[in-house]
This record gives sequence, C-alpha cells and structure tokens, in this order.
Amino acid sequence: MVRAIKYILLVFILLVMVFPLFWMFRVSLLPAVGSLSFDQFLSSIYTFEIYYDIFTTGKMTVYLLNSALVGITVTGGNILFCFMVGYALSRYRFIGKNFWFYSVVFVLMIPVHIIIIPLYLLIHKLGLYDTYGALILPFLVNPIGVFLIKQYIDTLPNSMEEAARIDGAGELKILFQIVMPLCKPALAVLAIQVFLTNWNSFLFPFILTGSESMRTLPVGLALYQGHQAIDWPHLMAGSTLAVIPVLLIFLLFQRQIVSGITSGAIKQ
Amino acid sequence: MKKYITYTVIVLTALMALSCDGDRSSGEITLEWWQFWTDPAIKPTIEKIAADFESANPGIKVNITDLTWANGREKIVLAFSSGTAPDIVELGSDWVPQFSSADQLAAIGKSVGADTSQYFGWSPGIYENEIYAFPWILGTRVLYINRSLLIQAGYDQNFVPFNWEQLTECCYKIDSIGKDIHGFGSNAAEKHRLYKKFLPFFWSSGAKILSDDGSFSTIASDKAYEALKFYKELSDSVGLIDTQRRLEDAFLDGSVGVIISGDWLLKRICNGGHDIDFITTIIPGPKYPGRSFVGGEYLAVSKQSQHKAEALKFIRYLTNRENQLLFCKENFSANPSHKKAAADSFFTGDVNLQVFYKQLNLSRMPKIDEHWPEIEEIIEITLEDVLFNDAPMAEALYQAKLDIEKLYSAK
Amino acid sequence: MTARRIIGLLFASPWIITFIIFWFFPLLYSLYLGFTDYRLMQPSYNWVGLNNFSALLSDQSFLQSLKNTLIFVVGTIPVTTATALILALLVEKNFPGRTLFRSGFFMPSITSMVVIALVFTNLYSRGGYIYLLAKILGLSPPENGLLLSDSTALYSIMAMDIWMSVGYYMLLFLAGLKSIPKELYEAAEVAGAGTWRKFRSITLPLLKPVALFIVVINTIKSFQVFVEIFVMTKGKYGTSTAVFFIYNTGLEYFEFGYASAAAYILFVIIALISLVQFRLFRQRSLW
Repeated sequence: MVRAIKYILLVFILLVMVFPLFWMFRVSLLPAVGSLSFDQFLSSIYTFEIYYDIFTTGKMTVYLLNSALVGITVTGGNILFCFMVGYALSRYRFIGKNFWFYSVVFVLMIPVHIIIIPLYLLIHKLGLYDTYGALILPFLVNPIGVFLIKQYIDTLPNSMEEAARIDGAGELKILFQIVMPLCKPALAVLAIQVFLTNWNSFLFPFILTGSESMRTLPVGLALYQGHQAIDWPHLMAGSTLAVIPVLLIFLLFQRQIVSGITSGAIKQ
Repeated sequence: MKKYITYTVIVLTALMALSCDGDRSSGEITLEWWQFWTDPAIKPTIEKIAADFESANPGIKVNITDLTWANGREKIVLAFSSGTAPDIVELGSDWVPQFSSADQLAAIGKSVGADTSQYFGWSPGIYENEIYAFPWILGTRVLYINRSLLIQAGYDQNFVPFNWEQLTECCYKIDSIGKDIHGFGSNAAEKHRLYKKFLPFFWSSGAKILSDDGSFSTIASDKAYEALKFYKELSDSVGLIDTQRRLEDAFLDGSVGVIISGDWLLKRICNGGHDIDFITTIIPGPKYPGRSFVGGEYLAVSKQSQHKAEALKFIRYLTNRENQLLFCKENFSANPSHKKAAADSFFTGDVNLQVFYKQLNLSRMPKIDEHWPEIEEIIEITLEDVLFNDAPMAEALYQAKLDIEKLYSAK
Repeated sequence: MTARRIIGLLFASPWIITFIIFWFFPLLYSLYLGFTDYRLMQPSYNWVGLNNFSALLSDQSFLQSLKNTLIFVVGTIPVTTATALILALLVEKNFPGRTLFRSGFFMPSITSMVVIALVFTNLYSRGGYIYLLAKILGLSPPENGLLLSDSTALYSIMAMDIWMSVGYYMLLFLAGLKSIPKELYEAAEVAGAGTWRKFRSITLPLLKPVALFIVVINTIKSFQVFVEIFVMTKGKYGTSTAVFFIYNTGLEYFEFGYASAAAYILFVIIALISLVQFRLFRQRSLW
C-alpha cells in the first residue's frame, strides 16, 4: 500500500517535471510554417522535417562538434583541477589560503555583466578572441566546482591519508589513489554540472567568438529567435537535440553516484 | 597521473597554437562587418552581396559576424567600449544616437554629399548636423484588419476605416461578434514595443514630444491627451491585451480583428500555413489617414576603423538600388531606404506593399538624440500607468513632460 | 612544514593562475568603475567617490529591484531545498524504475534557461496550458496571462525556477546521502531507532555540509536571477530584479559606473548573507 502511494506520487512528480519538456518536443514535430496554436498542438500532424532541415541547411553539425569539443575539454579540466584545488583548500595550509578560498566565492558573487567588458578586452589582448582558447581557458577551473569539492573533502575523515603518509606514500599518490576514489560521487556531480553549464552557456561564447566555425550550439539556437518572431519548431527541435548529450552524460555519471563506494569502511 | 598531465599539456599547446593563426596576409584589406540577418532564408543573400562586392573590388575582403537580436546590441557596445569595434556595424535606428553622440562613429556626410536626396530616413543618422549612419532597410507599421471578421461584423468587403471614428466603430462591431473574438490588439507593457503602437495615434492627432527648437517638451498637450484617451478607450473596451508576438498569433488565428504590425507579419502570412483573409491600411488619424512610426536598420562605420573609405564603399554597395531590391524581395522587407528601389513596381504593384510605401511617406521618425532611449522609457512608463494602472491621464502626461525636460536640463 | 605548504600551493595553482589571468583584473576594474561616473563608450570619466553608492541607496527603482530579488530568494530557496531533499530521499533506495525517475526529475535542469523561459512564457500566457490549468482549478488567474500582471508575474517566474532547479539539487543530496556510512544506520537500528529518529539524528546532521553548499550556491545564484527576467518580462510587471537593474542601467542606458556600484552593493549583501549561512550551519542547534 505504502509502495503504491509512493509510486503514484513519483509518477505524478514525473509528469509535472517532464510535461514542459514534452511540450518542447511536441512543438519540434510541427511543420515549419504556421503559428503556435492549440489545435496544432493536439492535432495529429507529426513531421520530422525540421530535424532533417536542421542538419541539411545551416551548420548545426559544426556547432554540435564545437560544443562537444569544448564541453568535454572543460569537463575533463574541471574534474582534474577542481579536485586538486578543492583538496588543497581543504587539507593544506599555504600562503593566502583564505584569500584563495574567498576569491572562489567572490567570483561567483559578482554579476557577470559587470566584468564582461574587461574580460572581453583581456581576451582580445591575449589574442584569444574567436578561438577555442577563449571558450576553454577561462573555464577550466570552475569556482562552484572548487567549492563543491572542498565541501565534500571537508566531510571525509583524513585517517586513510595519514596512514598512507606514514607508509611513505607521496602526495600525488595520496591525492589520486586514495582521495580521488573517495570523491567519486562529488566528482560525478561536478562532471554533470560542469558539462551542463558549459553545454548551455550562451553569453560567453557569443561575446568571445564571432565566426561561424567557432559557434557553439546555444549561440546557433539563439539565432532562431528573430527580431519579431520566434521560429518555434526549429528552436524546439534544436533544444530537444541539445538535451540528448547531456542526458547521456547524466546517465553515465549518475551511476557513480548510485554505486558510489562503501565509504563507511573508512569512517570510524 | 602522468598521463593526465601529458594530456592536459597537449590540449593546452594545441589550443595556444590554434589561437595564434590570427595573422592575416598583408596587402589585402579585411572589413569586419557585424550584422543581424541570420535567418537561413536571408543569410545566403547577405553572403552573396558580400561576395559580389569582393569580386568587384579585388583586395578587399568582407568578414561577416552574425549577431543575435536578443544580445547583439550588448556585443556591439562591448566592442566599442573596449576599442575593438568592427569596421562596419548594423545598428537599429533608435541605437544610432547613443553611438554618434559618444563620438564612436565616423562622419560620412562629406562623402555621401548630394546623394542624400536619393534615400529616405536620414534623421536618426544625423547628430549635430553631421551624418553618422546610412539608412538601409526601414520599417513602418500599418493597420492589419481581418477581412472575414469585418464582413461578419456587417461591413462591405471593400470597407477600409480611415479615421478614428470608423476604426472605433469597426473594432466594436468585430468585438461583439463573439466572446472569444476581440476588436483591437492592444500591447501589454512590453519594453521597446508598447510605445511604438501608441506614437502613431499621438502623431496623427498632431501632438509632438519636443518643441521645434527642442528646448521644452510638448508631450502634455490637448492633442496628446486626445490621442491617449482614444487609445485607452479602445484598449479598455475592445482590446485584447498581450505581447506583440502573441497578438500576431491571435490575429492569424482570427481571435482579434485589428492590429498594428510591420512587414514581418506580411512575411509570415506569405510563407504560408495561415488561412487568413486580411487587408492592410494606413493607420487612421482623428479625421483622415494618419502617421505611423518608422524605424529601421542603419549601417555605420566605426571611428576606430582603419579602412573608412573601403567600409563606406561597401555600405554604398549594400544600399544601392539593385542590392536593396534583391534583399527586400528575398526578405519581404517593404521599405528599402533607396527611393528608387522603394518606388519599384515590386512594391507599388502589390496591394499590401504599396500600403507600406504610402505609410512610409506619411511616417515620422522621432527626433532622435542621445536622450531618446530615456524618452522612450518615460513614454512607456506613462502608458503603463495610464493603460494598466488607471493613472489619471492629464497628470501622467504632465509628469512625462517634466521628466523629459529634466533630461535636457541635467546637461 | 614548508614542503607541504608548497605542495598545497601547487595543487591550488590551477585556480590561482586562472583567477589572476582571467578574473582578477576584471573584478578590480569593475570595482574601480563603481567609484566613477563612467558611461559606456565615453573616453573620459571622473572619480566621484561614494556618490554612486549614496545615490543608489535612495534610488527607488534600485531599492524596488532589491526588494523583488529578496522576495525571489526567500520564496524559492526553502522550497527548492526541501523539495530537492524529499526527491532525493524518494529515489535514493534501489527500486524498479529508479533511473527513470531520477533522469526525469533531473531533466528540467538539462535544458538551457533561455529555452525553458521561452517555453514557460507560452505556458503561462492566456490560453497556455499552465494558465488553463489554473483556470480549471478555480484559481482565477489574471485575464491577460500570468506574466502580464503585477500580482502573479514574479511568483510565476519563481515557480518555474523551483521546477527547473530541484533536479540538480536532488543530485547533490544524493551524493551527500551516499557519503553517510551505512554502519551508522545499522547501529541505530540495533539501538531500536525508528525511521524518523534515524532521519533526524543521522541523515540530517550528516547532510549538513551538502546542505550548506546547496543553500549557499542557491543563494548566490538566486540573488543574481537575470536570464529568466530578461527573456520573460524584461523587468515589467514588478519583476525587475537587482541584476536586471544592473543590466538595464549599465548596458541599456550605459551608466556603467553607476551599475558597477550597484553590483558591488549586491555583492556586499550576498557576501553578508552567505557569511550568516556559514555561521548558522556551523552550529549544531540548526537541526
């Protein structure tokens, strides 16, 4: 009985959560012309012409590849760097440690519109404008990620590290062979979060690149929002396509959170 | 671990290498052009015109950067503020003065010279008697009426309202057809859109925002009051209040009889998918056909540009008669700035496009200066207060007058 | 131990380098601009001391935007956090269909905010599905649609925000739940503790670090709510938030010095609140 109620509740929540996304998908199956109305939404008109159109006209494949390349590189960089930095902030004492911790939080607290002018100038001066460098380098260490990992490592007991240190293990070995496996759930969350943020990032790619060959998916999709009208079917089809890679990443990494590790063993 | 480091180093080196190919061959000039026409239906035309220009002018290359409507202005502002402006930039008519008054655009008056008489719409490009921006594609707003509803309301199929009284009557009659049918599409508080739908009535009644010498505001006048009263009554009694995009949807599916819109709606209808019998007409004035709002896209050369002459040459090429015609035909734009292009039979021979042509000749561009964006906001706030919060009209207009005058006395 | 200090610094260096290269100068520069009358694209500007700050504190539209922001923060964070925790508890244990529910709950977080905001603009407008639902439920929504009325616009955007972010925070709670040693529960069971007792004495206290992270991050993000406002209402109908004010003042009307000052006032508010949150979570009495 309790079980049945739980399932009913879960299914209800599921419907609430996915309905707007279903709406998005449904609109993407409408013909390219026409306005958005209820008759159409409920009608039996289904067509994949928009999906075909997206890949044949325009350069959506280029945008997808750019987004994938940038997304994977940035996610990889963040897993490595946020982990290192978060670990350092949690476990070590060094010059200006507090300052560096606060700088992480500080960057998060300033509205991006205020710092975008000097950042834009900087990217130009560094010769990075309209390159992959502009899309990747500033984002290889993400403040939220550092903060997340630091918080997570704070909760882990350091007995195993101490034991390893007594056994004469080097710091790198401790970092990557002992602490890293313990952080798997947090790193999985980090990976999902970073990939997701990057995949949907619009403002920076739009401002920091210009040419079609450097364009990422969100910028490509934004072009479907015209001055006076939104090209709903194309925008919704592109957005539906954009969901798929993130969903795959999610499914891949969420297992790390599910299976996790028997962390209990190392906590007294 | 080593693998990670090696991998990272390789990636970073590759990125650095990729980012350093910016060196362009000398001897050839590259013009950077930032523009907004990104729709797959029109982008090829833009590219074609640029390519034609390149082959007609060996040694000059045009590099196009696409901007999005939602955020393009931001990027332009960033570029100008940080000294990395493109050579040529497309600007909306209401943005131009913010750039020209800040001394960011190259003066082109001397080079354009006598040719100004061949084009419509110079006023937004002019600042302190100098020309800074070239009119390209203009756009005016006209009245759209659903003819089926008109006939249903008991009108003859050739009926066209030409003054306020007739407009009011026809909106009321259409509104009374049924519960789900509204007479008039009235804009909600929507930034940059609401005031554009009111100003036609304001100007048609003979009201003005500023006095002729610009020394004080005339927005609080009997004529302005009449226009506001007319608009509010229409909106209150038979108005469907929504955003412009949704009003257009409502017009297309027949739930609103009369709306004000631009040539983009014509494009939507012509693209098919809508079964609608409609007419367009000049926006009615108190007694006779009135004035409308006109805005548009302008082309400007940045002051920082190293290739001003070539940039202007490209602008002249884009805006010449043939290329304007080509562009407008592909894009369903109704109002090219080139007078000869505008008078082409393509426009004058079409029942709807000729309405746009006539309306353009009756249209008005607000006297745009660097305070225009603020004036725009003052008018919008006034309209919101009166239309949606029932603020007393006379007081609201008077407050708008004081607020506008404050802008000018501050300097 | 200096060696350990150097190693620590080395491990932290990716952030230190990124911060110095990419973020330090922009942050400092914008702070400096807050004390000037800089207008975008104007080459010359003057140092005006604290003028911007004092003007802002009596600027009605700024204060109103702060108030709206506060409503947004106070209205969303408790609901988001509690819902996320409940969802995490619901899908933590293994049961058939678990991955389906987890993915489904997470899916709103996947799509970009711009697209979600456009979709909801449609769902909220007159004749949109959510609007119709409100009507069927007898809630008598405003005639012109949920986003075109002062009484509902902000709350509608808040509801969308909660809908969109609970999945992500659920994921964080799941990771947090994973780090709780199972032995603790076993020991508690042996001692005869019931489900509620275990939840209160083990789960909640041990989720504190994750909860702190969630609340702090969500606070920082919510105080800077912008994209949804920009897309859905452009600050009309009582939805102008602090960052929207900053954007509007700085990038629409070019008063960039003034906008920078506003950004730093917002920064001080966020920093103070985060500090309070850190303090609160450190005390055991919270739960």
